[in-house]
Amino acid sequence: MKQNKATQNGLMAVPVFLGFLIALPSVSVAGEDPGKILEKATTARELDVSFSKMSLTIDNGKGQKRNRKIEVRTKMFAEGGKTVEKKLYIFTDPPDVKGTGVLAFDYADKEDDMWVYLPALRKTRRIVSSSKSKAFMGSEFSYADMSSPKIGDYNLKITKSEKIDGDDCWVIEATPKSKKIGDEEGYSKKVIWISKKSYMIRKSVFYDVKGDLLKELTTKGVVLVDKKNKRFRLKEMVMENKQNGRKSSFNLTAPVSMEAKDVNDSHFTTSYLEKQ
Amino acid sequence: MMDHNKFSAFVVRYAWVFIVLFVAVTVFFSLQIKNIELDNDMKNQLPEDLPTRLNLSKIEELFGGTDMVMIVVSTDDILEPNTLKRVEKMSNEMAEVANVDRVVSIFTAKNIVADIEGMTVEKAIGAIPEDRKSRDELAAHLEKNELVYGNLLSKDFKHTGIIGFLNTEAKDEAVIDALDRIVADNPGSGETFVGGMPIVRVSLNKDMKRDVRKFLPVGLVLMVIFLFVCFRQARGVLLPFLMTVMAIVFVVGLIPLLGWKFYTVTVILPVILLAVGNNYGIHLMARYQEDNVPGGNASAREIAENGIVHLTNPVLATGVTTMAGLLCLLTHIIIPAKQMGILAASGVAFAMVGSLVFIPAILSRLPKAKPVLRAREEVKESKALLDRILYGIANLIGQRPKTVIVAFFLVALTAGLGSFFIVVDTNPLSFYTQEQPIWKSTHVLNNNLGGWASVAVVAEGDIKSPEVMKQIDALEKHLQKHPKVGNTTSIAKVVRKMNEIMQGDKKFDVIPDTKELIAQYFLLYSMSADPEDFNKIVDFDYKHAQVMAQIKDSSSQAAQEVVAYTQAYIEKQKGGPFKRVGGLVDVLANMVDYVVKGQVYSLFLSVVICCILVAILMRSVVAGIISMMPLSIAIALLFGIMGFLGIELNLITAMLSSIMVGVGIDYTIHFLWRYRFEYQKVNDPIEAVKTTLTTTGRGIVFNALSVVIGFVVLMISAFSPVRFFGLLVVVSITACMVCALVLLPAVVAVFKPRFLEAKQE
Repeated sequence: MKQNKATQNGLMAVPVFLGFLIALPSVSVAGEDPGKILEKATTARELDVSFSKMSLTIDNGKGQKRNRKIEVRTKMFAEGGKTVEKKLYIFTDPPDVKGTGVLAFDYADKEDDMWVYLPALRKTRRIVSSSKSKAFMGSEFSYADMSSPKIGDYNLKITKSEKIDGDDCWVIEATPKSKKIGDEEGYSKKVIWISKKSYMIRKSVFYDVKGDLLKELTTKGVVLVDKKNKRFRLKEMVMENKQNGRKSSFNLTAPVSMEAKDVNDSHFTTSYLEKQ
Repeated sequence: MMDHNKFSAFVVRYAWVFIVLFVAVTVFFSLQIKNIELDNDMKNQLPEDLPTRLNLSKIEELFGGTDMVMIVVSTDDILEPNTLKRVEKMSNEMAEVANVDRVVSIFTAKNIVADIEGMTVEKAIGAIPEDRKSRDELAAHLEKNELVYGNLLSKDFKHTGIIGFLNTEAKDEAVIDALDRIVADNPGSGETFVGGMPIVRVSLNKDMKRDVRKFLPVGLVLMVIFLFVCFRQARGVLLPFLMTVMAIVFVVGLIPLLGWKFYTVTVILPVILLAVGNNYGIHLMARYQEDNVPGGNASAREIAENGIVHLTNPVLATGVTTMAGLLCLLTHIIIPAKQMGILAASGVAFAMVGSLVFIPAILSRLPKAKPVLRAREEVKESKALLDRILYGIANLIGQRPKTVIVAFFLVALTAGLGSFFIVVDTNPLSFYTQEQPIWKSTHVLNNNLGGWASVAVVAEGDIKSPEVMKQIDALEKHLQKHPKVGNTTSIAKVVRKMNEIMQGDKKFDVIPDTKELIAQYFLLYSMSADPEDFNKIVDFDYKHAQVMAQIKDSSSQAAQEVVAYTQAYIEKQKGGPFKRVGGLVDVLANMVDYVVKGQVYSLFLSVVICCILVAILMRSVVAGIISMMPLSIAIALLFGIMGFLGIELNLITAMLSSIMVGVGIDYTIHFLWRYRFEYQKVNDPIEAVKTTLTTTGRGIVFNALSVVIGFVVLMISAFSPVRFFGLLVVVSITACMVCALVLLPAVVAVFKPRFLEAKQE
């Protein structure tokens, strides 16, 4: 079955999400145009290289938890005059999935390529999925949550300013321009708190198609990663489903590295995957 | 025994006190009726601490609610674009209904398919085909998807089901209203119907209420007609009628007062009282008319007192045996049956005491009635006929009593053979005949889609370990072999499928050998699909897994067979991961056991108790044994008829035998009582039989007739088991009557038991 760019695998969500962790240098004030503010947040994805270690905890709201540790590397490549973002994820914990790796090439103009290496199978397989994945690794984070909204799809307005953890934020309300757009993402409205200083998303609330409160995203710990370029990261992002009590959180477990020994071209090959 | 003269004088002296007391009690109980709650959830009919119910709650805790509703669409081609769009829309709309936990349809189903280099997890239906070619492509695609083909979509593409799992807070009415609205909002070609246990429950609720509203007026009218034919006098009709209504009000009001609920089977409670409750009042009125002779100079009070004096013993004897029979329903573990025993016995007690107190109290205060000539000249014709029959019976017994006895036992034996064919059915759907619309969705599910309900097995342990996973796989394959099992679902099937695809070879359609590989497949799956896809088959911690086998046959037999088959297998895997078997099907199967057990115990107990009561009453063990004969033959006939006609033993018919024994024993008591009296007078069995049959015999016939008339109203019920119950009561009461009038005289004539010769005190 044919798949399209809009219905990619959930793994794609991670780099987008990483983009959120990285703040743009707050040089100029974007004014009070909500579209511009969101654009600023979007361009924050474009990071040359990164290596981070993180944990993903999924809590099912009934006292049961799943913990996973992942190493993530990203690098921007220029191939044939076009930009390709390559990403590598390696699971390090729990032991039964240790070494499982995913290599994804995110092309600007065509379908993504993705390979999965399962160490227990000792084989690399290309995977595709046509389902517009709702959740990342069974977490409460969805593809739609982690991408900033396509600005043209939404009616945007700044409703007010509000402080989150002392960080002054614009509060932007985004409502889909058509029911179709809303149904695709599963939301009828999103409200996003964006830091005026770092352009980091500090909080979001999501309303389901019936208009009921569905999920709430909260973030903690804005950390300056790259002093030269003034890049930031969030230490923790927690997404809570207000309807079923499930909760997922991403936590950085080590300082983010941009050093060549941690990330280089050789990492982004299937043969590297298989060496794990 | 209490001194009847003192008792009757007391009643008559304080008549007003008793009248006011009875009226007050009735008013009080009538005020309770509005608090009655209906409950048709079949599982609530079993005590909460039964293993099957505990298993069900445990499963619901782990894997969510097991109650399902469904919309079934049947049309020439489900893959036709407009139909598909409609199904998709209904599937989405069902997911929006409050308390619908999860929807499973061809639009929520996934497909794991082999890709050139790897694996794809995709929606079973990606896009709705707009032309013939893409329709055929989709059909070819779906045929290979075992999650869908023959399960959510019939193999001929003519039927599809949209299934909604409800959470435990769901309210039946609200969910069904929403479903009806969805169906109404999405009209289209072919047929669309809703189904599932909640629908059955709501439907039962509605029809039950309608039934009660129908029974009572019709029953009461029949009773009035019967009473009028008997007494031809206002008070003769009104007093027994009033007594019966009061008894019904009393027991129905008792239900909420005891904190109980009105179950499906409770519909027959008012009918039991309608049929049985007026017996005692009828005796009182008959005696009143007998004593109220033209030109007699006894006062109203004296006649009333006389009635009490003469009737206390027989009324108590027959009333207590009836109550004893009804109370034997307590041996049932099924809650409504137990409660029915207590309620019906309370009602009988109320009617019995009322007939000895309330009716005479009123009669004593009413002016004396115009005497009615008891000898019913007006109905001479029928009297002559009845008398001729009774006389003929007496003659027959005189000539060949042994032949009569042998004939009866042969008939009983032959009929008894039928009891081997008795089928037990506990599926609440069987309250309706298979032709009724409510069955449609079930038929489609059984014939075309996987099956209507499932047996669930819960495995406990490290589900990701190959040992446990292989056992789950083996269990599923074993279940699949049973001819009544349709579709099966388990996590093992998914793992096998992923293994085959990732290894890229058909021969890898097996469980992998390492825990790591299984864990990595799960991780891989979670990267591309919905985290809730596995909710029903494995829990969050991978510590519990559920294997489900849908059955394609809605009979309780099928449920029992599959449950027994499953349990036998698990038994062999001692120490294995399988901890419990459960589900709706298990509850159904379990209920069969309890219906049968309850039936056997209550029947046995009621026969024994009634015979002990007769033995005490007649002061003879032999009398007790003799009284067993008519009952045994009636029972053999009852079960024989059920077996031969294929009438199922279910929650309703299971109560029949206790009622029959309790009521049917009365005729034996009446006969023996009178026969002894006559025999001691003439010392000739045949003469005594003749006199008994033409006097008390007539009474027995009328008595049985009044019971039969009471139960006849059940024939207008909306439910076939209730109609059958009515039919069977008529048959079995008639059998008890015939045995008392034909077999019993033959037995006493042949064996001349000594207790009948003893001088009466």
